[in-house]
Amino acid sequence: MTHDVAVLGGGPAGMAAATEAASHGARTVLLEESPLPGGQVYRALPPGYAGPADADRRAGDALRAALAASGADLRTGCRVWGLGGGPLVPQGAAAAPFTLSALGHDGVPFTITTRALVLCTGTHERIIPFPGWTLPGVIGLAAATILLKVQGVLPGRRIVVAGAGPLLYAVAAKVLAGGGQVAAVVDAATHGEWLRALPALAARPDLLAQGAAWRTRLLAAGVPVIHGAHVTAADGDGVLGRVRVGDRAIDADALCIGHGLVPATEATRTYRARHEHRPQDGGWVPVLDGRQRTSVPLLYAAGDGAGVRGAAAAPAAGRVAARAALDDLGLAHAGSQDAALDRARRAGAAMARMMALRPAMVEAIPPETIVCRCEGVTRAAIDAAAADGAVTINQLKHFTRCGMGPCQGRMCGEAAGALLAAAHGVPIGAVGFATGRIPLRPVPMEAILGAFDYADIPVPAAAPI
Amino acid sequence: MDQRIAAFSRPAAVTITVRGRPVVAHPGESLAAALVAAGLWRFGEGDDPARPRTAVCMMGVCQQCLLRVDGRLVQACLTPVAAGQVVTPA
Repeated sequence: MTHDVAVLGGGPAGMAAATEAASHGARTVLLEESPLPGGQVYRALPPGYAGPADADRRAGDALRAALAASGADLRTGCRVWGLGGGPLVPQGAAAAPFTLSALGHDGVPFTITTRALVLCTGTHERIIPFPGWTLPGVIGLAAATILLKVQGVLPGRRIVVAGAGPLLYAVAAKVLAGGGQVAAVVDAATHGEWLRALPALAARPDLLAQGAAWRTRLLAAGVPVIHGAHVTAADGDGVLGRVRVGDRAIDADALCIGHGLVPATEATRTYRARHEHRPQDGGWVPVLDGRQRTSVPLLYAAGDGAGVRGAAAAPAAGRVAARAALDDLGLAHAGSQDAALDRARRAGAAMARMMALRPAMVEAIPPETIVCRCEGVTRAAIDAAAADGAVTINQLKHFTRCGMGPCQGRMCGEAAGALLAAAHGVPIGAVGFATGRIPLRPVPMEAILGAFDYADIPVPAAAPI
Repeated sequence: MDQRIAAFSRPAAVTITVRGRPVVAHPGESLAAALVAAGLWRFGEGDDPARPRTAVCMMGVCQQCLLRVDGRLVQACLTPVAAGQVVTPA
């Protein structure tokens, strides 16, 4: 069966997109890696768990309930690794329906064929490397949020929270609420940067009030907040023991650190959609029209994967994408966009600007520090490759294996691109992005091959000499 | 040591085996969270002691938390705890 609309990624954008498409009668399927839809911010608790009331989870529950009632086919716990069809056809052939190859939650492979594809692949965290960042006990801010809000686990007893953006204060407040100790908050942003973000945040008084509550809680607990500063090193004996901020050494058994969010564009890159580098949106993003259409016909992107604007802005964007797909398929005449979208996007944009890559931090990475932790590639190796003539990210991969490990450059790509650009004195956009390739995620060979036997390979008759 | 937050209620604890030692965990929580809760941040040595296996992203992206559960290679952050699992380094 060919679906009308497939949605890849069950976060707020994907849940809303699938709900919108299915409720207009389109044959709709939603594919999600986690056991339950929700995404990172609206993530559901594990089955059988109950936790403190949480506004994000309530927002997620509403989206989950609407999705369940919409009639969309929901495939959770599945790993989508293969993309085909669409423009990925032999040269000269007409565009085909999109195909998605996946492993089900039961390990059984399946394929989805769809006329339209809405990509809601979300975002992952940017951590700019520093000496000691590979020590166990150093964890992302978004990762800490999942531990604290979903798993109900403190990352440590005495925790340093560092990096940029509103997650800093969210994580610090959750640590305190969970009974942990925050040794310090190290905020890359200065007071001035926060002040300049305020007018845009005023469009979302709810977020502003939440931010103020977090700050008040830290103040009451006497947590030192160091502004305009960076973690310069982490050290310890096998696991984290100390965090260094310039001359200060702070004892800690966990460091939660993040320097912003990066849109997950592997699917739009694989489909060869046009992209542009927009630091204020998180980095490389697919070029979209006003209705979330990519440059590839019937391929749409919405939510943070199309440019970081936050969970609050994502459902509206997902609905806009779904309506564009319904229009383009001739299934419905959809209305115009949500009024709330622009306001949510404005507040999201102010936060995204604060979380944009800071080139000075990348410049400060010492030569011996590992940048690509999958392949163990240091800054010195990247600089050497640049000196040897690597100009683009793809060339850097060939020279060094940077970005070729199991994470496929998701963790190191941003820093590597910035280092390469700095070495050549060009803007980051000039070094390009890694060509999108399948598999999108590591997948066991046996799952791809099935019951493979060499005897099954059809051998064509030998060509006449 | 248990770093679980008391305000959460969970299914009754079970025992898993981590590198030959019993570890108390709760069904449904991620294996990565269970190890962090037990203070076991270092999941394995990997290919290089300078970049050992550990939890980093908790959302299935970074591939640093690889472990073997009953011999099968998994991402600890995406794998729910179940009673009796035998966890070894990858």
